[in-house]
This record gives sequence, C-alpha cells and structure tokens, in this order.
Amino acid sequence: MLKSGAPIDLTVLIPVGGRHADVAGLWADYETGLRKLGLTYECIVILDGPRPDVAPRLERLAAESKCVTVLELTRSFGEATAIMAGFERARGQIIVTLPSYPQIDAADLPKLVRALDRCDLAVAHRTPRAGTVFERLRRRIFHGLIARVTGLSFHDLGCNARAIRRRVLEEIVLYGDQHRFLPVLADRHGFRVAEVDLRQSPRDRRQGRYPLREYTRRALDIFTVFFLVRFTKRPLRFFGMIGTTVFAAGALITAWLVAERLFLSHALADRPALLLSSLLVVLGLQLFAIGLLGELIIFTHARELKDYQIDKVIEFPAVEEPDRALRAAAVAPEPARAEHFRAV
Amino acid sequence: MAERPKLSIVVPFFNEEESIRPLHAAIVGALEPLGERFEMVFVDDGSGDRTFENAVEIARSDPRVRVVKFRRNYGQTPAMAAGIEQARGDVIVTMDGDLQNDPADIPRLLAKIEEGFDIVVGWRHDRQDKLVSRKVPSRAANALIARVTGVPIHDNGCSLKAYRATLIKRIPLYSEMHRFIPAVAFIAGPRIAELKVRHHARRFGRSKYGLSRIYKVLLDLFVIKTIASFTSRPLTWFGMLSLPPLLGAAVLAGATLAALADGGRFDLPIAGSAVIFLTSTVILISAGALAELVYKLGDVRELEFSGLTQRVRARALPSTPLPPQTAHPTGGRPC
Repeated sequence: MLKSGAPIDLTVLIPVGGRHADVAGLWADYETGLRKLGLTYECIVILDGPRPDVAPRLERLAAESKCVTVLELTRSFGEATAIMAGFERARGQIIVTLPSYPQIDAADLPKLVRALDRCDLAVAHRTPRAGTVFERLRRRIFHGLIARVTGLSFHDLGCNARAIRRRVLEEIVLYGDQHRFLPVLADRHGFRVAEVDLRQSPRDRRQGRYPLREYTRRALDIFTVFFLVRFTKRPLRFFGMIGTTVFAAGALITAWLVAERLFLSHALADRPALLLSSLLVVLGLQLFAIGLLGELIIFTHARELKDYQIDKVIEFPAVEEPDRALRAAAVAPEPARAEHFRAV
Repeated sequence: MAERPKLSIVVPFFNEEESIRPLHAAIVGALEPLGERFEMVFVDDGSGDRTFENAVEIARSDPRVRVVKFRRNYGQTPAMAAGIEQARGDVIVTMDGDLQNDPADIPRLLAKIEEGFDIVVGWRHDRQDKLVSRKVPSRAANALIARVTGVPIHDNGCSLKAYRATLIKRIPLYSEMHRFIPAVAFIAGPRIAELKVRHHARRFGRSKYGLSRIYKVLLDLFVIKTIASFTSRPLTWFGMLSLPPLLGAAVLAGATLAALADGGRFDLPIAGSAVIFLTSTVILISAGALAELVYKLGDVRELEFSGLTQRVRARALPSTPLPPQTAHPTGGRPC
C-alpha cells in the first residue's frame, strides 16, 4: 500500500523485530512529540517477519490514520534491512528511526530532529540512564572498544532513535547488523554526526542480564566494524603485516631447530617444536595470500570502489546559451552509489 | 553543454583561500595564448576556510571553471581522482593548488603530449622546500621507486603532470597512488617523458606534508609492484608462493620414508610437518584458483591497458591508438 504523492518533511520508520511493545500505543506517544515540530510527517511501521500479536492493531491503525503505513515482511530480515525496506517507501526529507519499544521520552523527539540543523545524522544518547553498576561497566567496555577501533566516541549505539537526513541513507546501504553502526559508517562517508542527550523513557526497563548469545553478538559486531574500518581499504597492509610477523617467527624457530640439528646433533625427530614452527610458517604464508587476494579484489574493482564521495559539482553555464543562462547555477548532486563495503 | 574542451586542468585545493584567485589568473594567462578550448576543474577537498566560496565566485565569472566539492577532507589523491573523473578534456593536467607549480609550464607539457608521449611528468629540479624534512626523504624515495619500477623519474612527488585522458581515466587510482601514477601506468606501458619545471616557494598557507609520508609510500610501492606483476596470472603467482611449502613437504616426507626404509621408527614431528606443508600447498593453490576467478569477474583487463597506448603500424591502417571500448569482452592477454 504505497502512498505516493508530494514529498513531505519527515518520515518515521519503526522496525518491529522480536523485541517490541504495543507499537500502536507507542506511535500515539511519538505522534504527540512530533506534532510540536510543526512539520508534515508520515510513519512507516515495518513488521520484520510475521508479528501476529501487533499486526491486527497496526493494520487497523493504518486503515484509520492518514499518515501510517504498515509494511509486512514475510520473514525476518533483520533490523538494518527492515529500515532500508521502509526507506524505499519514505517520502520525507528527514528520516527518523524509532524503537519499537520505549527507549526514549517521546516528548524529547523535537530536540532530536532539530539537532539536524547542525549535522546530517543525530543519534540519541539516553541520559541520565538507569542501570546497575554491572550494566554501566558493560556499556562502557563496548563503547570503549568501538572508540579504539574507529577513533569515534559514542555512548549509546544501542539506542534506535536517530534522525537522519535523506541523503545519508541514499548513499549508505545498510545490511546485516549494521544499523547499530550507522553513525560510524556515516562519519566515514564524510557526514556530520552528532549525539543528542535525550531523557530515557521511564518504561525502558530491561532485565539486568543478557543471555550469553547477546555478548557473542556484540563481540562479533566489534569485529565487523574492525574489518569494515581496517581491512576493506588496504587488505595487504593489514594481513601482510600479521602474516609476515607470523612467518618470521616460524622461520626463526625452524632455523634454530635446523642449526641445532646440524651443529649440536639434536635429532629433529625428538622435537615437537618442529610442528609448531612449520605451522607458524604455513599460517604466515596463508595470511599473506589472503591479503593478496583482498588486494586483487580491490584492484579489479577499483572503479566501483571509490575512495571519496563528491558532495556536489558546481558549474555556471556560458552566457551564449540563453536557456541555461536564466538559471542561477546548475548544481548537480552526485547520484547515490551503493557503496557499502569501502566507506572511506 | 558547451563543446568538449581539449584540455582540462585539475587542481585540488585544501585550505587555499588566498591561492585560488592568483592561480586561476595564472592558468588563464598561460593558456589563453594557446587558442585551445580548455576547462579548469577545482576540487575543494573539504576546506575549512573560504576556499569553496572563492572557487564558486570564480566559477560564476568564468564558465570554464567547474567546482567539485567534497563533504570533508579526503586527501590529495581522492581529490585528484574526483577531478580527473569530472574532467572532460582529451588531455588532463594536474597541479597543486598552493602556487608552487607554475601554470606557465603547462604549454611545454602539452607540446610533449603532442609529440606522442602519453604522460609528461614535471621535475622540480630547483626545489624550493626545506632540505631535511622534504628534499632528502623525497630523493631517497624517488631513487627507490626508480629502481623498483624501472622508470627513471627523478620526482614522483611533483603534482604537475599531463596525461592523455583515455589513459588516466582507465588506470585504477587508489590510496596514495598519485605518487605512483607513472608506476601504475606502467601496467599499460605508456611513453613517459620528464620535463624540468619551475617550482616556487610557498606564498600562502602552510605545507601539509611531512616526513611521515615515506613509510606509506614504501608500503604502497610494494603493493603496486606485487599487484602489477601478478594481476593477470594469479594462479602462477600463488603457485610460486606454494613452492616453498611443497619443497618442505617433499624433504620431510622423504626423510620419513628414508627412516622407515632403514627400519627406523616413525617420527611424528617430521611426518606431521610434512602433512602441514602439503596442506598449505593445496590451500595456496586453491587460493590461486579463487584469485583467477576474481580476476575474470573484475573489470580490469590487460588487453584493455594494452589498447590504451598501442600504435598500429601498417600501410592500410591509421596509426591512432585503439579505443578502449574495442577491447575483447572476454579479456585475456595481449598476444
């Protein structure tokens, strides 16, 4: 049910995944907050897979409300893909993604959107934030690691409330679990990113413990960001460095063992260290080979994987062309590119 | 759109609000007497000062100027690459935005291109920079580059260069590669000429580069050499990488067999190492096969590169370069 028409100011995207509250009731809160902005808006709720508990109420809401669209995906694709699916139908110049369970105080929404006056992407930082000492420590470690890897300091990447200029999502294609790292990716694309302090919703109460699975996922997230940032640009620099070190260590041990065999007659047969040294040599070679493979991929696709994004090209037509001279300036924005793998 | 220009001047600017006007005037002053149609592509590399505003004002008064704006500072190579991408001329000249290069040298570069060279490189033989922090490391790097690439160029760091557009637009540029365009271009084997050019001391602003660059330059040099030598025959290359472990495996397996034949005992460390090395050989060759596939699916072709610079000498054929579009779609090597 694509509601086409003139562009509007703001589109709210609410991806509904496994964890969600009563989305229809939540939207009522959000709408109260949004009205204060005085902008035209629409809301797209994306049901990421069948959600029979909330779907009927949302469908009724979509039928009654002029501005709510419900998009139902047949299976769960993940939050990043759900956001992109919603964005394809969004008409707003500003995109606001909001959580499907209470995270922030809806009355603070105008503050988040107005932050776009000075940036291209505003992410919420719930503060002051409730939580035990253990939770606080956990958050600090996660964001500390992200800061180490990316050099960017964020405090609340887990918060799903973000205000985004349209062009950011036109340029960055999200997939997998990357929605959480949209601020990192946007920064690498040269957009201005800001964190906005918002009050936490009083209903934002999680159970104090996560299952172990959640920790594994967060660790893998950091790993993903690490590779997006480091590896995808100069693979041979990255793998070559590690590979050469490992290879050198293996070669040294081997040389030592061989020297002992030749000059001190220690039989190689009695040396389990030989296994270790040959493993190291082999590992080093293999890492180097992987770096080469990566470099080859980048080289053969260098024309698609550009290092830069052109903001705009400005040219003024020569005066002898009457039809164009009337226009003040021809500003041609660079078309959006699907360039998700090499951010910078 | 006006008629396509013959010549494009690409200039990246980073915080050069004072230099941009004098540079524009100097370029116009140097090129107008030639009577050729030309354009200027000014790339604003995310400057924090009024560089962009000044560039737009210049563009307003001179339709030959186009301004490409970056959202933030990406560095000189991406700026050059963006300018080259946007340039429409048959010949592209790149130069620094800090007035250290002299546009008065451009006509001489063009004359060399007319002579039939594909790339003309400027050589700042009378360099106006600090000795220790700029000149010495640069001289060492250039000597090294000349040795490794076999292209005897004295000054890879000089931005003032002229290229045939067909060639430069087809060469994949990335990282700090503007230093190595001659080296990378060697993939295509172009005719490179070197020309002494003037070099002025900085008038405005501060120098943006220092000693730390040389480390990057060396690493890139190694990568380029590797890539340039193996792109079109990755399986061979990975095969070579797999020879040392294969040799190791053969020796160790031989030792095991010899020991067994002698009626000795079976040595686990030696036999195990043989197996490890053999495994490595297999994996490396598999990686080579994968690399072969990647190259096949990529869009870089040696045949295409060969077409960029080749001249055909035959009675019935015109002696013009083969246009790159006619490259054989399935790729393959030039015979």
